[in-house]
Amino acid sequence: MRNIRIIARLDIKAPNLVKGIQFEGLRKIGDPSKFALKYYLQGADEIFCADIVASLYERNSLLDIINSTTNNVFIPITVGGGIRSIKDVTSALNAGADKVSINTAAIKKPGLITEVAEKFGSQCMVLSIQAKYRNSGWEAYYDNGRESSGIDVIEWAKKGQDLGAGEILLTSVDREGTAKGMDIELIKAVTNVVTIPVIASGGIGNLNDIGLAVQEGCADAVSVAHVLHYEELTVNEIRQYCIEKNIPVRRLSVDGA
Amino acid sequence: MGLSMADIVVIDYGHGNLKSIQRGFERVGKRVVLSSDPSIISNADRLILPGVGAFGSGMRHLEKLGLADALHDFVKKGNPLLGICLGMQMLFDSGKEYGMHKGLGLIPGIVDKISDKTKSEKIRKIPHIGWSALVNTGCNSNWTDSCLTNLNQGDYVYFVHSYMAMIKGSEYLLSQCNDEGLLIPAAVKKDNITGLQFHPEKSGKIGLKILEDFSNL
Amino acid sequence: MKNKNTLQKYNLPESIEFCKECTISNQRPRITFDENGVCSACNFAKHKQKNIDWKEREKELVLLLDKHRKNDGSYDVIVPVSGGKDGGFVAHMLKYKYGMNPLTVTWAPSIYTEIGRKNLDNFINIGGFDNILGSVNGKTHRKMARNSFLKMGDNFLPFIYGQTNFPLKMAVQHNISLVMYGENGEVEYGGDMTLANSPVKDMSHYNNIFFSDMSPEDWEREGISKSDIAPYLGPTKGEIEENNTEIHFFGYYHFWDPQECFYYCVKNTGFEVNDVRSEGTYSKYASLDDQTDWLHYFLAYIKFGIGRATSDTAHEVRDGKITREEGVMLVKKFDGELTKKYFEITLDYLNVTEEEFWEVVDSWRSPHLWEKDENLEWKLKCPIWIE
Repeated sequence: MRNIRIIARLDIKAPNLVKGIQFEGLRKIGDPSKFALKYYLQGADEIFCADIVASLYERNSLLDIINSTTNNVFIPITVGGGIRSIKDVTSALNAGADKVSINTAAIKKPGLITEVAEKFGSQCMVLSIQAKYRNSGWEAYYDNGRESSGIDVIEWAKKGQDLGAGEILLTSVDREGTAKGMDIELIKAVTNVVTIPVIASGGIGNLNDIGLAVQEGCADAVSVAHVLHYEELTVNEIRQYCIEKNIPVRRLSVDGA
Repeated sequence: MGLSMADIVVIDYGHGNLKSIQRGFERVGKRVVLSSDPSIISNADRLILPGVGAFGSGMRHLEKLGLADALHDFVKKGNPLLGICLGMQMLFDSGKEYGMHKGLGLIPGIVDKISDKTKSEKIRKIPHIGWSALVNTGCNSNWTDSCLTNLNQGDYVYFVHSYMAMIKGSEYLLSQCNDEGLLIPAAVKKDNITGLQFHPEKSGKIGLKILEDFSNL
Repeated sequence: MKNKNTLQKYNLPESIEFCKECTISNQRPRITFDENGVCSACNFAKHKQKNIDWKEREKELVLLLDKHRKNDGSYDVIVPVSGGKDGGFVAHMLKYKYGMNPLTVTWAPSIYTEIGRKNLDNFINIGGFDNILGSVNGKTHRKMARNSFLKMGDNFLPFIYGQTNFPLKMAVQHNISLVMYGENGEVEYGGDMTLANSPVKDMSHYNNIFFSDMSPEDWEREGISKSDIAPYLGPTKGEIEENNTEIHFFGYYHFWDPQECFYYCVKNTGFEVNDVRSEGTYSKYASLDDQTDWLHYFLAYIKFGIGRATSDTAHEVRDGKITREEGVMLVKKFDGELTKKYFEITLDYLNVTEEEFWEVVDSWRSPHLWEKDENLEWKLKCPIWIE
């Protein structure tokens, strides 16, 4: 097993870091750049920044935040929310992002996945899937969990890989923000059918949830928001837990580097 | 910024997150210039060849901009060159991504796909994404005179790539990483040329140390 | 069908104006705008945020509750709930923070949605509450809804009356003097501001026998008998006074923020948002329990140009969750969206054909708000996004 990545996830409604539940609600938490720096210093492996209202307002307002964040944060940053075209990807990368995450635009035009992968490389193209449990399966949602697409998540994950996605960010609409545990069945179902890395997201409430996501769900990385923003856990506690449970993770050197 | 002011020149050929590299060097106090001008490049004090994307496309753009020649000129002068990720891969003789492509031929070896099966026939996920530890298994080089001089065995750095260097012998191998049993060249060095498969500008404090030490070579 | 004169009926200003700070217009009945063009709800919101000593208000609450708490196992407060975030918040706070013994009371929706029923069940089973669900004879309820729709342009009146009166009936029946609502809607959303600084509901105009200006005799002429209408009526004024009934608003004692009620209920009462956003708006957490309530909001859009998105954005702007600019964008995108999901089932429930439906709806379009465009489609004369 490769080293599992601990990814700090920031939902942003510029200029604030916010945290919703089941993709509803916009409770303000604070300044996103400050939080990104905090998690970088705590030893997060990557940062994920999502503009959660980009689709709603048809705008892109994350770039300034990314620019200022990347001045001080030297780990990979993925940017998502409102990425609709090659131009948007270019802007995001120019602002300092390493990867982009696309959901709504990919559902509307799956060919965009291939376009992005061919121009910037697969490793840059993260397919974001928001999965809602429905009719004994999962349906892909878009517009930040507001609209249903009618598309089956498992089929979509496979198709996304075929089209050139380098990673999948898999979020459970039902669990996200609830801190009541992840949808392990969902994670398992997707990791079973793809051979690209899967980042599990949505519902982490305690350390056990992370263990389950990796050991039962076979996730390659976990995206953590609620427990970090509300200071219920630190990145280091998560790392220590993984080490105790023999889950391979990056070891930080003595001075925290 | 005039050339005389810059400590580091980063080649801008349309491939790679140049800003991150620039910020990394600036964080350790160096002055950086991004350039696609062959004369600036061949006359630089220290040169970075970044790169994200496909081998063939990268080489084509370098050739088109006259930068492959500029690079060779630079190397002949003996100043330090650092290739990062795709930039490291292009230092080799050739690469097999989407067809066979000629590289810069500065270090012997070819670049090929990372195998998608482990020794025990399990699936290896491609790309290789994440943090892996640097080891000097199978390497002949001492880290002392390199940009890895202040690192320790087992320090973690960030990788993201689908292709790897296939090198014969250990003469130019500085460091490798062990990815589920497969040893992947992580750092190579031949005289004034260094190549890093991983991204030092994305490897936290350890990465910044590497950038600083490269600047002091 | 003759055009209803909404200007007169609701005493609406003829020229349309939008609040400078939120998305509501002066067409909301009883709302007022100050000399700066700011609506009473926004001014109240600012007052709420700046001038009120909430610690003092809490002290008042504690005094009130101490007076009513029974501590003998019997109920000491009635909390009207639907299973949603607002009543859920109030009931949970009263029980678990303040040690009261609430009897929660629910007036059944016309047609339950799955999520609505689930949230009520979760409220009862996860939140841990006793609950009385009042369901009216379904045949009668349908007749009333149809009549209300045809005559008064609001299918939802049977629900609204029952929701108001049934908890009072339960209060009297169970000898509970204290009834605790969530927020005072008039004060929070722009209406009659006379009781903005009062914790209690004004019962001086209470009249239990008139349902939408129609006496029981009027209803009988419509084929609705006295026993049909009885469940909708509240107790008599005498019974209310004898019971020493006091109706308070929790929003007077505690800073009211519907979004925070949502976060609280997810944590404490098993509240879940809807699958998808509600049609006509962008949110997933408000008014989820009735398959026919979309029509009530849609009719408000027809009568006043104020749809769900306008109502939702207006309070979210006041609560500082979104900016007015964002609110306008959301109104433009979603307001007045006609349901796809519940259209047929609602028309079937009301026993009207599509033709009849539109005849009734269109009769409520006042010419001061609506006009037909070049494709002969109805459109608002003065939408907020063209200011």
